[in-house]
Amino acid sequence: MNNTEQQQTKVLKESKNRIRVDFERTSRWTRFRIKYLNSNYAVMLLYRMFRFLLLLGVAFVILFPFYSKIFGSFMDREDFVDVTVKLIPKHWTIDQYKYIITENGFFKAMGNTFILSLVCALLQTITCCIIAYGFAKFKFKFNKLLFMLVIFTMVVPHIVLRYAMISEFNYFKPLYLEAFWNGIKNIAGEGGFIAGFKSAKGFNLLNSYWPMAILSVTGLAYKNGLYIFMLRQFFKGVPDELEESAYIDGSGVFRTFVTIIIPLSVPMMLTVFIFAFSWQWTDNFYTNMFFNNAGPKLIPSIVRVPKSLSTDASFAGKKNYDSAIRNTCSLLIILPLIILYLFFQKSLVQGIERSGITG
Amino acid sequence: MDRAKNVGTTSQAAKRKRKVVSLDKKKARSGWWFILPFLIGFLTVYLPIIITSIKFSMLNTVASTGHFIGFDNYIEMLTTHQSYTQTLLSGIKQLVFDIPAIVVFSLFMAVLLNQKVLGRAVFRAILFVPVILGTGLIDELDNIGNTAIDTMKNASAASKGSTGTSASAIISNYDLARLFEGMKVGTDLVKYVTDLVNNIYGIINRSGVQLLIFLAGLQSISPAIYESCSIDGATTWETFWKVTFPMVSPMILVNTVYTVIDAFTSQTNSMMQLIMSEHTNSETMSAAMAWFYFLVVILIIAIVSAVVSAFVFYQRRD
Repeated sequence: MNNTEQQQTKVLKESKNRIRVDFERTSRWTRFRIKYLNSNYAVMLLYRMFRFLLLLGVAFVILFPFYSKIFGSFMDREDFVDVTVKLIPKHWTIDQYKYIITENGFFKAMGNTFILSLVCALLQTITCCIIAYGFAKFKFKFNKLLFMLVIFTMVVPHIVLRYAMISEFNYFKPLYLEAFWNGIKNIAGEGGFIAGFKSAKGFNLLNSYWPMAILSVTGLAYKNGLYIFMLRQFFKGVPDELEESAYIDGSGVFRTFVTIIIPLSVPMMLTVFIFAFSWQWTDNFYTNMFFNNAGPKLIPSIVRVPKSLSTDASFAGKKNYDSAIRNTCSLLIILPLIILYLFFQKSLVQGIERSGITG
Repeated sequence: MDRAKNVGTTSQAAKRKRKVVSLDKKKARSGWWFILPFLIGFLTVYLPIIITSIKFSMLNTVASTGHFIGFDNYIEMLTTHQSYTQTLLSGIKQLVFDIPAIVVFSLFMAVLLNQKVLGRAVFRAILFVPVILGTGLIDELDNIGNTAIDTMKNASAASKGSTGTSASAIISNYDLARLFEGMKVGTDLVKYVTDLVNNIYGIINRSGVQLLIFLAGLQSISPAIYESCSIDGATTWETFWKVTFPMVSPMILVNTVYTVIDAFTSQTNSMMQLIMSEHTNSETMSAAMAWFYFLVVILIIAIVSAVVSAFVFYQRRD
């Protein structure tokens, strides 16, 4: 029966690879009507348009400041007193870039910050990874309590600790070894152990990279609590069987971590690295705190109006002009981050997606 | 009879069991090695800093030469300081309004970005821009009389009170208010919505990390659940409330807590500004203010997480 029906279909055209057969089909118009001209499709189309427009609007809100910053950075002095100039400059010039780079010590600050951010981000990624693994996979005593301490370091506003932090690193005592040693030496002397303990001088670490390095190695730097939290959630999602099979094969805890867990978590570590690098790059709280004028020049120091561009108070557009110059500085600062982001944007999102962060 | 026979075997079993436990414990104890860097850092660097800071808050005026005055700074700032309690209360009020807005907005955006939208990759890249670029120095630069940002912030506020729509406005506040007037929903709600619209720039720029966390949560929901829902004839709306929402509810908790922390510790916060300006005046007073503020933050986080976690659904995993 089936065979005969198929034989009835008329072959229109036949070539080596293709065959066109004529069979009865509903007309084109009917198919079109059924598929597209119904309320379901109309609602879907409306929803899609609404969705797209909404996303477009949000993207506009995010990108517009960059757009106006970029045009403002090419404006000449006269454009800021000209009321007809809204966005597009009339007198194009690259003076702002030129003087910021030559007079504000741009490349030096950039180089210093690059080294600082790279080292800090690497240290933070590695330590946070280790700490997070310890919290995620081992049920030792006080695990939860100690993890609360990690959250605690995240919640304490850093400004609270500003003055105390400066004094801590002004007289930094590594592990209090010197203090203990002095105390023991003084145990028979006047004041006993405590007077000796207090007599330790410590090192002055301000205006050097050491405070940042120490905070990074111990997982106490900016937003490290968040990284530990993210990585802990990621490690919790790694099945225990993986490690168990490694233990059965005779691998130790540390070897398992290095050879099995680390290669698994590269996307997540890359995400944390990008966060750490870019947040360290734009950080001004720690850099202002630990580095005053005597230290190496870092990025916050280039944000000022260069001498050749400074205007006197009589200039009507001074406020806008200075603001535009600061914006040009911020554009120059984020340029390397934009390049980094464009390269790693995909893996950043993937790393987050795979982490499966859950509460 | 049986009991007598079993004595030998039970002691053996007990021995074997203890051995297994001790091996587990040995493994568990090596966890200490992993968290050692944090422990050392916390005990020798962070704890002294915190103790010094608390000590400062109980000193008289200058940190280096002041003498111990107990809780006087705290009492003074709560009773006689001109703006502390006011700023604190208004900050908390602002936050209570902002949390739902940020969480709902980022959840909504995450759901949209999880669908197959035209140019999804581009939109994702753009929406995560504030996470990378909107922090620290850049955030501060954007907040000191920046003309490029102010036009954005004031875009809708510009037409406030006037009947016509100004050229630079995205949405006229007046139009929005008039729209709501017809609905008879009460002035407070109208004010809340118009404030949100005014603040849209801030909300979008502050919801980057939350968006990432929600997106991660949405990706981890198994597509099989959605398939079975659609076979059973559930509509998209029902699927959202019965599947998506419960599945991302742990992330709502995380995001709420993160939003609170982020809002309270950001340097552009009015409370932080007050603490910083007080710092030049009296270091110890500023420390006292900050510590009291911190206690309030902890209290709020505890309350918020208790309230939210009552509604959180955890998927039972084997």
